[in-house]
Amino acid sequence: MKNINDMIMVVILLSVLLSLASSRLITLIKIMAVQGFLVSLLPLLLEHHSSMGSGGLIFFQVMILTKGILIPVLLYVALKRIAIQREIEPIIGYHASLFAGLIIILLSVFITDRLHLAVPSGQELILTTAITTMSAGFFLMMGRKKAITQVIGYLMLENGIFLIGTALIKHFHTVYMVEFGLLLDLLVGVMVMGIILHNINHAFDDIDTDLLNRLKD
Amino acid sequence: MFWGIAPSVKARLNTAIVLEIGLPVLADNKKNDNQEPMNIFLLALAMILVGGALPLLTYRWFMLTKCLSVGVTTIGCITGFYSIFSANADPASLAWSWPWLHVFTLAFTFDSLSFFFLLPIFLICPLAAIYSCFYFERAENSLRTAISYFFTNILIVSMALVTAAANMPTFALVWEIMSISSYFLVMYDYEKTTTRAAGYLYFLFAQAGALLIFASFGVIFSHSGSFDFAQAATIPESVKLMVFLLAFLGFGSKAGIFPLHIWLPHAHPAAPSHISAIMSGVMIKMGIYGILRFYFVLGATDIRLGQTVLVFGIISGLLGVLYALGKHNIKRLLAYHSVENIGIILMGAGLGMIGVAQGDAVMAGFGFAGCLLHVLNHSIFKSLLFLGAGAVIRRTGTSHVDQLGGLMKRMPVTGKTFLVGSVSISGLPPFNGFVSEFLVYFAAFQGLQYSQSTLLLTMIAIISLAVIGGLASFCFTKVVGIVFLGEPRTENARRATEGGWAMTVPMVLLAGACLVIGIFPASFIKLAFAGLADITLLGQVNTVLVATIGAHLALGSRLFLAIIFFVVLCRKLLYRGKEITEGPTWGCGFTRPTARIQYTGTSYARSVVDFFRPFVLIRETEVRLQKIFPKRTAYTSRVDDIAEAAMIYGVAFPLLAVLRKLRWIQHGNVQLYIGYIIVAILVLLLVLFI
Repeated sequence: MKNINDMIMVVILLSVLLSLASSRLITLIKIMAVQGFLVSLLPLLLEHHSSMGSGGLIFFQVMILTKGILIPVLLYVALKRIAIQREIEPIIGYHASLFAGLIIILLSVFITDRLHLAVPSGQELILTTAITTMSAGFFLMMGRKKAITQVIGYLMLENGIFLIGTALIKHFHTVYMVEFGLLLDLLVGVMVMGIILHNINHAFDDIDTDLLNRLKD
Repeated sequence: MFWGIAPSVKARLNTAIVLEIGLPVLADNKKNDNQEPMNIFLLALAMILVGGALPLLTYRWFMLTKCLSVGVTTIGCITGFYSIFSANADPASLAWSWPWLHVFTLAFTFDSLSFFFLLPIFLICPLAAIYSCFYFERAENSLRTAISYFFTNILIVSMALVTAAANMPTFALVWEIMSISSYFLVMYDYEKTTTRAAGYLYFLFAQAGALLIFASFGVIFSHSGSFDFAQAATIPESVKLMVFLLAFLGFGSKAGIFPLHIWLPHAHPAAPSHISAIMSGVMIKMGIYGILRFYFVLGATDIRLGQTVLVFGIISGLLGVLYALGKHNIKRLLAYHSVENIGIILMGAGLGMIGVAQGDAVMAGFGFAGCLLHVLNHSIFKSLLFLGAGAVIRRTGTSHVDQLGGLMKRMPVTGKTFLVGSVSISGLPPFNGFVSEFLVYFAAFQGLQYSQSTLLLTMIAIISLAVIGGLASFCFTKVVGIVFLGEPRTENARRATEGGWAMTVPMVLLAGACLVIGIFPASFIKLAFAGLADITLLGQVNTVLVATIGAHLALGSRLFLAIIFFVVLCRKLLYRGKEITEGPTWGCGFTRPTARIQYTGTSYARSVVDFFRPFVLIRETEVRLQKIFPKRTAYTSRVDDIAEAAMIYGVAFPLLAVLRKLRWIQHGNVQLYIGYIIVAILVLLLVLFI
């Protein structure tokens, strides 16, 4: 069991690095689908979650469906609708981003050590992964210009928060309030960004967030 | 068939509802058998809410919406009245509480003071609602009208609950609902820039005031450790002064105390007239209620509290009426008169507080009774005046007094009721303003027996009351003279006609109330004292004295009325059989008189306004006659409020100048905004971990 968990976490970390280094939007969306799927799969495989009730199972299935399929499909549709041809013009280059990703992993290991959080045994790595995912999400949001990449960064950030929630929870619980809130948050975020994307595209014939500068007072 | 099933379904529904929201629990279990007044009161509130919500569903049928909403609201208010009177003997029986979010308890209790403040709510609001039938006449604004009804009724309910809130979270909740719903009411004509600006100003002042009130709650809580108002008296004496001043400023911004009154003259012209009537007549009194309630709850007997309140009252009264003189917009002028009357009310309260501090039961009793009675009276005559002003504005399309004139002949009911309101607000017998102002005078004269600061302050109070009364009468001779007498100055004023019964009936009723209180003052003075019955801070006032004063006032008022009738009768008799010819007003033997030779509001008030120059900023632009062939001349003048000017040039502009320098923070770059978030998180983490 533990090996599978570790493998999943490694894949999540890899997906983070890959997303930092990839220049094609379609690839990014695919990576997000895989990441979302793995992130929502992880709690099911944890040992102390084994006594999960049917409600919890259904909840995580919904989670997998939303994160792994619904949101990526929405993003894909948005991508097709706005028909962007150009690749990302990053503020921070891909190689630099990849390097920054490695530094982020190191930093998160360091932070996990320093935080001294009461994490159940065997879950220390989840916290590292979570902080890495969060920071990388932030990094993606800051380092890219396209609105759709911002959404993807935001998704990654939420994945990280979700992982932190999973890591810190010691016992099985019946009310998935926080997780559900996150999910809702995500969907709304994607919807809003979809609308904004559409509107930026409509108004400026491009989806660079730089164009939003013109909206300030 | 249907009726056969209904009871069981109803019973099940009832249990379901009870299970859902939790049955309101009586605060005092011993009185469990006497739930009836509470149920009736809650029923009244529920009806008012329904009356507000129905228009949202039926707004497509305009007339139906109006009739339904007004009808249900009126019945709800009458039910509320009934519940007050049925519970009058034992106000404590009318109490309930809900546990809310497992953290707070929403508790409501009543005492005589709450009952007294419920009177204007249930009296003025239905009349204003009936009047709204006349005021909202455009069917194409149907949805907006429905929304206005909705917020009006929320405002009524929240005001009724403000008077009953028994602990701080409850009070904060209903207070905010009151402020916000009234904000939406002010924004009725939201397309106009001035309305939006006025609404924003009001919102600013309402929220700043609420902030101060919550700050005072916080100070109380930090010392007493309880959200209950009943525990507030246990905090140390030294803290009470600060708590009271915070609350006084907070409530003052709602009540319109100078210099926190700035929103009033902007919000009232912007709002529909019956909303102005509710806001000025009833809502700003909630500020007064808050001040009184806080004073009684704190049980502070420091004389400085009374002195502060009295001084603020004097300033508000004097400057309010002074600025009213200088204003040409009829509703703005009335708004300044609200400031003036709030000043008189505060003077009564301040004198009462000084009386409490001196241990003088008569001064305290009469001060507070005058304050309370003036609250009731002002709510009556001020809403009457606002309704009248609304009728004038609706019928002529202008609110500038210098463009009106001669309306007494064209709108006789409006004119006469407005005159009644004017005489009342000027504090002249035989109307109600005289009665309450007399009580304040009486309290002030009690203060003359003390020495030093009390003597000085009460003397100033008496003089300023007299000055306020004089200036108010002067101001209303101006309004009535310019608007209702003389000749119409514009074509719109010439074509004005009286509105329907929905407009005249509320005004006639209110004018009747003014006269009734004026002629039968004894029972209303007793009512005001009854409003103070549950206040333990006050000593017992000799009932014989109260009755004597009531009787003397009644005699005076009736005598005055008799003299008026006698003079009218004499005139009728003496002129009988003589030939009476009627010429144009201000004809004065000119061959071709024009309406423009009449006095204007500015010229009439000028001499008095000039006298008070340091306190009023008069700005004039004038093009005089020059050379042999002069150009067209022009003259404009405006009177500015020093508080407003100080607020604009002393607070707003410097603040803007500082904030403008921080504009670079908003650069529009999304990536850097995210950077801000990260920096904020890092700083917080550092603060937490180091």
